[in-house]
Amino acid sequence: MTLEILGISVLWTFLFGYLIVASIDFGAGFFNAYSVLTGKERILTNVIQRYLSPVWEVTNVFLVFFFVGMVGFFPSSAYYYGTTLLVPASLAIILLAIRGSYYAFETYGARGHKGYSFMYGAAGLLLPASMSIVLTISEGGFVDIVGGNPVLDYRALFTSPLTWSIVVLSLAAVLYISAVFLTWYANKAGDREATDLLRKYALIWSLPTIITAGGIIWELRAHNPEHYARLLEFGWMFAVSAILFVGTVWLLWKRRNYGLAFWMLFGQFAFAFYGYGFSHYPYLLYPHLTIYDSFTNPAMATALIVAFILGLCLLVPSLYLLLRLFLFNKDYVKGKKSDEHA
Amino acid sequence: MGNEEAVFFSRALTELTLSFHIIYATIGVGVPLMIMIAQWVGIKKNDEHYILLARRWARGFVITVAVGVVTGTAIGLQLSLLWPNFMELAGQVIALPLFMETFAFFFEAIFLGIYLYTWDRFDNQKKHLLLLVPVALGASFSAVFITIVNAFMNAPQGFDIVDGKLVNIRPILAMFNPAMPTKVAHVVVTAYMTSAFVLAAIAAFRLLKGSDHIYHKKALHLTVKLGLVFSLGALLIGDLSGKYLAEYQPEKLAAAEWHFETEGEAPLMLYGVLDGQEVKYAIKIPFALSILAHSNPMAEVKGLNEYPADEIPPLYIHYLFDTMVSIGMLMIAVSGLYWLGSRLGWAFIRSRWFRWILFAGGPLSVLAVEAGWWYAEVGRQPWILRGIMKTPEGATTSGQVDLMLYLFALLYLVLGVGSVVVLRRMFRRNPVEREIADREAERIAEEKAKGGDPA
Amino acid sequence: MNEFLIFYAPFIVLIGVIIAAFVISPFDDAVTKGPKERKKK
Repeated sequence: MTLEILGISVLWTFLFGYLIVASIDFGAGFFNAYSVLTGKERILTNVIQRYLSPVWEVTNVFLVFFFVGMVGFFPSSAYYYGTTLLVPASLAIILLAIRGSYYAFETYGARGHKGYSFMYGAAGLLLPASMSIVLTISEGGFVDIVGGNPVLDYRALFTSPLTWSIVVLSLAAVLYISAVFLTWYANKAGDREATDLLRKYALIWSLPTIITAGGIIWELRAHNPEHYARLLEFGWMFAVSAILFVGTVWLLWKRRNYGLAFWMLFGQFAFAFYGYGFSHYPYLLYPHLTIYDSFTNPAMATALIVAFILGLCLLVPSLYLLLRLFLFNKDYVKGKKSDEHA
Repeated sequence: MGNEEAVFFSRALTELTLSFHIIYATIGVGVPLMIMIAQWVGIKKNDEHYILLARRWARGFVITVAVGVVTGTAIGLQLSLLWPNFMELAGQVIALPLFMETFAFFFEAIFLGIYLYTWDRFDNQKKHLLLLVPVALGASFSAVFITIVNAFMNAPQGFDIVDGKLVNIRPILAMFNPAMPTKVAHVVVTAYMTSAFVLAAIAAFRLLKGSDHIYHKKALHLTVKLGLVFSLGALLIGDLSGKYLAEYQPEKLAAAEWHFETEGEAPLMLYGVLDGQEVKYAIKIPFALSILAHSNPMAEVKGLNEYPADEIPPLYIHYLFDTMVSIGMLMIAVSGLYWLGSRLGWAFIRSRWFRWILFAGGPLSVLAVEAGWWYAEVGRQPWILRGIMKTPEGATTSGQVDLMLYLFALLYLVLGVGSVVVLRRMFRRNPVEREIADREAERIAEEKAKGGDPA
Repeated sequence: MNEFLIFYAPFIVLIGVIIAAFVISPFDDAVTKGPKERKKK
């Protein structure tokens, strides 16, 4: 395994981690806002708040880790993506800022404030849309080199069906992932009413997720034939992903084993995400940038990897502690522990 | 948009983001240590008030940390968005501390989550205090790593340039550049100092607003003392920074001091105005610049005239430098008087006017941090990477930077107002007097339930 | 000497003041006890 592949694998894994935890997070924010506005607050808010409260800040770190690692391992990507993404990334930052801070404002400062709940729920819903643009751009065809500098072609970007399918997929996937996870969580908390409602949401959002995902693969055939051909090479991964999807929906439908349902969903997205990643190799940005010509020097790469391993030795036990104390702590989940927040 | 405009707006947006972020970042670095000290004192003296102090600070801290996190994410991304050419170059040499910072931050985030939600979970308070150690360490080390990156911009090393390409890169050497120790220590100690004075301002304000509770008096006493210790540290480290500048970035020191001719026995100029190369109406402290630069009143200090005109920073940084130093000195004097007065029983330290001064110390310290950073950044101009890359070469070539500037200005307005409103609301609705009474009632009820004697 | 001041002294001062902060913080007689009580000690 070369250093380039090692680097991108680590980053891709962190991005996948972000995809899952952020989806749960954004979706939960949306369901919370939705329930507050439609008067179903009583059913959902409790479960959602219990999950979200201790982990929200951790979610954000996955993203920071990804883009800092990107600049570290592939400094040229800072140049290409930095120059072209000014507007979309700035919008994403603004949404992220609204979401993060208003979440804290509502949770710690003004529990149940409708305006705040709405702010972070809406920002969380717009975020996946604005972030998924990066994936679209990486497919190529939207960046021209003008006078030696990369320039984003907004017109092409916003008139492409690919852009909009990816936006819809990101939205549907966020709500789907979140609903499946929260169904499991609510069930663990022994909250029948919340479980039923969230299960319904999960089933509703499963269909748009799979339809747009299929549609995107089809659209890639026209947009980027080279990538499409590579995708087919990894076809078995997408097949496994599809089977896992059916499994999740079936379990939800039968109201059985929500835990397994969530882990199958995890597998579904893992196979699809890594399948997509492998087929994207070696390009970071079709056709301008590959992981090889953007890679940093070996000295820095080695230093980063050593730092990464040392960092993991510190983080994995701490994350385990966090999960044990809250996520997998029966008393906490069921709400037997009284609110011990400062 | 022309390139010059893009550079101008990129600088403006970076300055805006940093100026806003640094307020929350400074509090984020310093307050965990203050919480830790208060909780430690509370456990040591078995004094409920200090524990409650820690708890209330922690509550407010979450709000500031949230804004700090999101604006930190903003500046992290903006570095690549606004300065892509710089990041492409610097990323090859200085990405390591940037990467380590995310780990420090990750570590802090995890334990902050745990700390906040386990206030009554442990019978032994010491265990709970232990959870705060990684929070304080993570917070301080975030500052250390990020400041290392900034130090590298001032004194780049750890690579060679051959035919315009970076070769022979040594990431560790780049981290331990000459600017690093003084800069890191100064940033960290002033974060502690500012946090202490901001918390002191809150206590002073409560006392001014009619509360006479011993809780606030203890809070004020603790924080002013801490402020004194840390501001003395800031003074000492600031002096060491002068020595660093004289040796490695003499033009930055000379510009801050309006020191044009290289000469010995150099005086320190405070304030004044510039007429050509003549300094008028300034307060002159004889020999002080020579002492600051070389610990020797006779020593020669390099002047600005040794440098080409297009390589010296704008001269208005003199006022930024003076603002920072004056506020620092003022805070040492005020907190020193308070400390002496409390030992010797002087009455005036409990007077209203003195408490107003202590209250003003909070915002003033924040202003000093701002002035210090403006001085540090503007004083490095025209370089973004001193001696290697000038600021305009690092900037983005993209248009729309002006629009982003307005959007972010609006965002910071919303976040700034929002955080203040929420903090006020939080503490207004739950004043400390009521919380102390509630906790007392709870304790008595618990004792009664156990069948013990409530007294 | 100058190298010591630039590279090592800043950290020594920083660690020194953090320790000093812990040492001085528990003393609060000045606010918890009246002037008379203190004189008795």
